Amino acid sequence: MKLKTLFATLVTATFLSGGVLYAGPNVVSGPGAEPECFAPWDKDTTYMQWSAKEGPYKIAVVNGFVGNTWRIQMVKTAKAFAEDPSITDKISAFKVVSTGTDAPAQLGAIEDFINQGYDAIITIAVAPTGFDRVIRLADKNDVVLVPFDNVLDTDAVMQVNEDQLAMGKRWGEFILGELDAMGVDGGKLLEVRGLAGNSVDRDRSQAINDAIAADDGDWEVVTVVGNWDDGTTQKVVADAIAVHGQFDAVIGQGGSNGIVQALKDAGHPWVPVAGESENGFRKAIAEYSDEGLKGISIGQSPGLVAVAMKAAVSALEGNVMPQLISVPLPVATYKDLEDGKNYWSELPDNFFTVNEFPPCNVNISGPDIMAESEADTN
Amino acid sequence: MTRWIGQNRGFAAALALFLALYLSYHLIHPRGFSTAVLVQNSNELVAIGFVAMAQTVPVLLGGLDLSVGAIMTLAACVASWLLDGSPVQIALGMIATLAVGAGFGLINGLIVVYGRLQPIIATLATGAIAIGLALLIRPNPGGTVDGDLNWALTNSIYDFAETYGIANGGEAAWLQPFINIPVPLILLFGTACLVWLPFKRTVTGRTIYAVGSAEGAAFASGLPIDRARIAAFTLAGFFAACGGLYLAIQTSTGNADVVQAGAYTLNSIAAVVLGGTALLGGTGGVIASILGAMILRAVSFYFRILDIDPLLQPLIEGIVLLAAVSAVAFRTFRVKNQLELFR
Repeated sequence: MKLKTLFATLVTATFLSGGVLYAGPNVVSGPGAEPECFAPWDKDTTYMQWSAKEGPYKIAVVNGFVGNTWRIQMVKTAKAFAEDPSITDKISAFKVVSTGTDAPAQLGAIEDFINQGYDAIITIAVAPTGFDRVIRLADKNDVVLVPFDNVLDTDAVMQVNEDQLAMGKRWGEFILGELDAMGVDGGKLLEVRGLAGNSVDRDRSQAINDAIAADDGDWEVVTVVGNWDDGTTQKVVADAIAVHGQFDAVIGQGGSNGIVQALKDAGHPWVPVAGESENGFRKAIAEYSDEGLKGISIGQSPGLVAVAMKAAVSALEGNVMPQLISVPLPVATYKDLEDGKNYWSELPDNFFTVNEFPPCNVNISGPDIMAESEADTN
Repeated sequence: MTRWIGQNRGFAAALALFLALYLSYHLIHPRGFSTAVLVQNSNELVAIGFVAMAQTVPVLLGGLDLSVGAIMTLAACVASWLLDGSPVQIALGMIATLAVGAGFGLINGLIVVYGRLQPIIATLATGAIAIGLALLIRPNPGGTVDGDLNWALTNSIYDFAETYGIANGGEAAWLQPFINIPVPLILLFGTACLVWLPFKRTVTGRTIYAVGSAEGAAFASGLPIDRARIAAFTLAGFFAACGGLYLAIQTSTGNADVVQAGAYTLNSIAAVVLGGTALLGGTGGVIASILGAMILRAVSFYFRILDIDPLLQPLIEGIVLLAAVSAVAFRTFRVKNQLELFR
């Protein structure tokens, strides 16, 4: 009899926990809160609203891969922003974990934080798909899940990103424009790709190649994979130069210091180069643009994490939010680099120059966060 | 009991370590000892558990299989094309996925035996081939896996029964003692018990152990060494494919993630060692490696409940694992003769 009662209780408990109404956000009409910070992706972007919760909130960041400068700068920015006076009172607990490139571990960590009763979970997805289960659980438990940077191929969650397709297009078109201005209308282009298998690499590469295909010039594109990492990029670019001799331009998605270093080491003449926003890359453009390094630097900012945290808090407060939040592209070409403003000639090469978003009140700059000693940021 | 511990000291040490780690995790967790947490932990365990099982079999022979993570990835990519449609189609898709993995393992075995290559080198090459094939069939992450299948297999028995309307939608009285058991755990331990335990008792299975402890003696005794080698690699491919199949179901997609494949291969070796299987071969077992995988996962669970600086986490994880491996393998460092381990 006693056992039977126990079973009955268990059944009821499981049934209750399983039978909760499918909660989650409502799709509403815009405009959303703070449009200058949370800009909708385009005119078709839908808006979402969660039921308002009492603060302060428990927030977790579930990072995937860790080990390159960008991710380290992102983690540091997240920690610093959690202590920023504008938001610190609204956060009661803040945790950051990195799971490595391991989908089950990342899904597990997200689910664990949902189980622990966290209110919002910010994540850089290790793959653009495969999150159906955690999205379902997050909705069931009224948890706001915010993928940013490497986002998901879904419109069921609120996401924060820069437009990777626009970035790739901008890179491609700038390089072709520079080549056109030099009177080159055909030849070999080197494309340096990022980490295989995620959405950022896919979208950027697709847009770059679309831009090249749309051009009327006769281009042969050589593609190498640099994993967005300076060392790997330097090696693969050096290999490509050894095999192909000379390129008319290089379009990289990251590891830009490695591109510059490989060109320099091989004695390759300076050509137009597109790349990310590493300080070293911008230093090189400033130094060698007269000799032909007509560079464009567009940054995927590690500060996106702060915008994502802010968006999560805003959603928890019950504000109307765009489903896909677009953060403007920070573009700098060789024409508009300025020492001490968008690059720092006296600081190390490998931090990302774009980090702050004034419209969002995210004012943690690259030098601030990366030049500080470990002890200060912890 | 005392005798069992004496004969399985590595396994006993791993079990004690795991229980200590895992029970403390539940004690600290705000919702510790609940089905939700158990289900979540089990889901995270399955893929690495299967890959650790896969790695164990060649390790028992005294070799390493560097292709297990890649075969898992290949199988997941295959599964992401096949696990949709009618129940019969889905079942055939599962069988095809497992066949691909076992077939790939068989090729590994044939290369090692008849190509006379060191397993570590042969599988390094075939692993690259597996990843290449995975990229070929899934250049971009995607695919569809039946939604019910995903929900049913990544939850507790109750949800499984409810999803498929078995046993009165999970309400049948006979099912009640089991409703809180996670399905992923049943799949993992079920496969181990139904496939490995019977296999271990066959001549081929025992020959694997014999080759690992003393190949010369095994040869002199007339044991079927070549057959054991081929079987070991085939079984490794099969277990790795089980991991890939579950990964595809869990994530509803296939993703030819090269980095992830490498990480799983390395972690599988760590899990094998944590489970007390000697890398030189001859002693240990598949169930112990699942335990090793459980320890590996349990260590990382702590980062979610304790406040540890995110940039220090990999360092701490490494130190804890080093300590754990030392604790489990302590005895093997002291023996003068490997035979002592069996006394």
